[in-house]
Amino acid sequence: MARPPAQPEIRVLISKVGLDGHDRGAKIVASLLRDAGMEVVYLGRFQTPENIVRAAVEEDVDVIGLSCLSGVHLTHAPRVVELMRDNQMDDVLLIVGGVFPVQEIADLKEAGVDEVFMGSLTGPIVDYIRDRCTKNRHHEKDEPRSSAP
Amino acid sequence: MDRAGGQANEDKQPAAAKTWSGLPLKGLYTASDVEGMDYARDLGNAGDYPYTRGIHPNMYRGRQWTQKLLCGFGTPADTNERLRSYIGEGAKALDIIPDVPSWIGIDADHPRARGEVGVQGVNLTSLEDIEIMLDGLPPELPLILHGTNTMASPFELGAWAVLAEKRGLPLASLRGTLLNDPLFTFYCSWWPEGKLLVDLALKLGIDAIEYCTENMPRVYSSYSDGYNFREMGINAPQELALTLAKARCYVDKCRERGLAIDAFAPRLTFCFSAHIDFFEEIAKIRAARRMWARIAREQYGAQDPRSLKLRFSVHTAGCSLVSAQPLNNIVRVAYEAMAAALGGAQAMDLCCYDEAVNIPSEEAGILSLRTQQILACETGITAVADPLGGSYYVEGLTSALEAKTAEILAEIDEVGGVVSAIKTGWVDDLIEREALNYHKELEAGERTVVGQNAFLMEEEAQAPVDYHRTRPESEAEQVANVRRLKRTRNNRLVQETLESLQRRAGAPEKVNLMPEVIEAVRAYATVGEISGVIRLAHGFRYDPFGELEAPFGLR
Repeated sequence: MARPPAQPEIRVLISKVGLDGHDRGAKIVASLLRDAGMEVVYLGRFQTPENIVRAAVEEDVDVIGLSCLSGVHLTHAPRVVELMRDNQMDDVLLIVGGVFPVQEIADLKEAGVDEVFMGSLTGPIVDYIRDRCTKNRHHEKDEPRSSAP
Repeated sequence: MDRAGGQANEDKQPAAAKTWSGLPLKGLYTASDVEGMDYARDLGNAGDYPYTRGIHPNMYRGRQWTQKLLCGFGTPADTNERLRSYIGEGAKALDIIPDVPSWIGIDADHPRARGEVGVQGVNLTSLEDIEIMLDGLPPELPLILHGTNTMASPFELGAWAVLAEKRGLPLASLRGTLLNDPLFTFYCSWWPEGKLLVDLALKLGIDAIEYCTENMPRVYSSYSDGYNFREMGINAPQELALTLAKARCYVDKCRERGLAIDAFAPRLTFCFSAHIDFFEEIAKIRAARRMWARIAREQYGAQDPRSLKLRFSVHTAGCSLVSAQPLNNIVRVAYEAMAAALGGAQAMDLCCYDEAVNIPSEEAGILSLRTQQILACETGITAVADPLGGSYYVEGLTSALEAKTAEILAEIDEVGGVVSAIKTGWVDDLIEREALNYHKELEAGERTVVGQNAFLMEEEAQAPVDYHRTRPESEAEQVANVRRLKRTRNNRLVQETLESLQRRAGAPEKVNLMPEVIEAVRAYATVGEISGVIRLAHGFRYDPFGELEAPFGLR
């Protein structure tokens, strides 16, 4: 009778960050991740790092995707990383997409961003999220979080 | 990146059987494709109704297109320095883009502006910033202020007027363009409250047109922009339909205000994208002229030929640029600019090749200007008006674009006009649907874009770009400047002028706010304060983010 529980859907939060309004890419990524079978929460424009992390906690997401095309990624992404640390969200992936010089990809990763996507085909984003989320979950199974007494 | 990751079938190109917007194409066009076309009725010579072939009889022999180069970053002093360089290299206008806080209408010292000041454009918080930014630049050059389509619009127009007065220039001598397109603005998120502000935006837009018509008659005061909608993902006929629908709305609103069409329509301008499909873009522009001439004459009874002539600026399509292999963008931009010239543009502003990753470096900016100069001076395409007129293909495609655009205009009318199409989400749905379709076709390899889904290169083989860096200290400097200004200006006068503006803003809609705005600007009230009291008078929060109280006890 024992049926293995179905693999829960991967939950992704996609958000614009800061005052930047260019949302064509964020909406397309949100839509194509849904097509790939993920559950996507799209927060939209004018989000602060605080809003984003609060929503990520409430929605219990596996991935946070930030979109930034105005050049403020190096201000806001590190703040998101900081807030994620404060909330012990070590198992949540942080990915960033948008428009910035390739030289700054290293800066973002150094600040704690897991991966950066610039280019515009969504296949690599889907593959990356699936791969990393599966690994995270296996990892969790091996070392279950310590629970009360 | 894996080279084999390219999904488009590279062997298949170039097999397009449709335009970039999806209009079907034949392999050969013949006389049958222009059957029924009447030269005098449908084309006319350049300079003659319906202006399909151009608005001037001798086109670029008489007047070169205005070569613009968009500029704005950091502090007003940073931008002043770059503007001096661009003018020195031959740019023919002061074409200025503000940062996002300025665009939204919040001051540099607003908490939500942190990290955003001077990043995407230049920060313009008060008259002082405009004075510094334009210091020493030739006052006779046309001025194009890109924030003049938002809540910052009254402030920027007011600052232009006050600065002219301080420099001893008659308002009637000023030349330039307001990007006064109130129905567009919230699509770029320049208003956090979005569509709630549509009616207020329209009111402020008509105020600006009325003020300029009476006081700054050489300034192009109304503007319908298709470019930014196109950038959001729609196609060519959709861009044209929305542009014409917005222009009709502005004409209607001006007439309601009591302005006769021939009083302001000669100073109405349009802006279009020049996207990558060469002939489709040329056809779009030619169709636009014919359609506007007929709308202005047949629908609105305009008599002045200047009201019938669709004047427009072109910006090449930022969304056609690809971040990988950035030097390829130089080629894309050159083709797009050539389409704009063959279509008969009055002004151009080309993307810089590094704009797919950042705001342009000075070197990339000057290269985009050189691209225009080579086009204008060397290629010879400026010698003859409408060189493609009469081509079976171009005329056939022009008519096809016109027919498709007319269908979309009819759909907009069916949903109650463009204001209703915006408020009900019809336009949002159109944009989202089309952007997603486009992207899915790209992913499926049904469209081929070099460097994006075909002809990929290893990352290390891509040409590095020495990209622009705004001075990191510019934000702190600008915030300090604004704080100093707020301490040292005559705050009693600021308070009086803001109170007076707020009272006036509560008056019936037809009362023009510009005289009171100008007094507040002159007293060095800031963009946040000026738009804030107008917002208050219209029942909105003073601060679009609800984080700041109004100063001076205003409520």
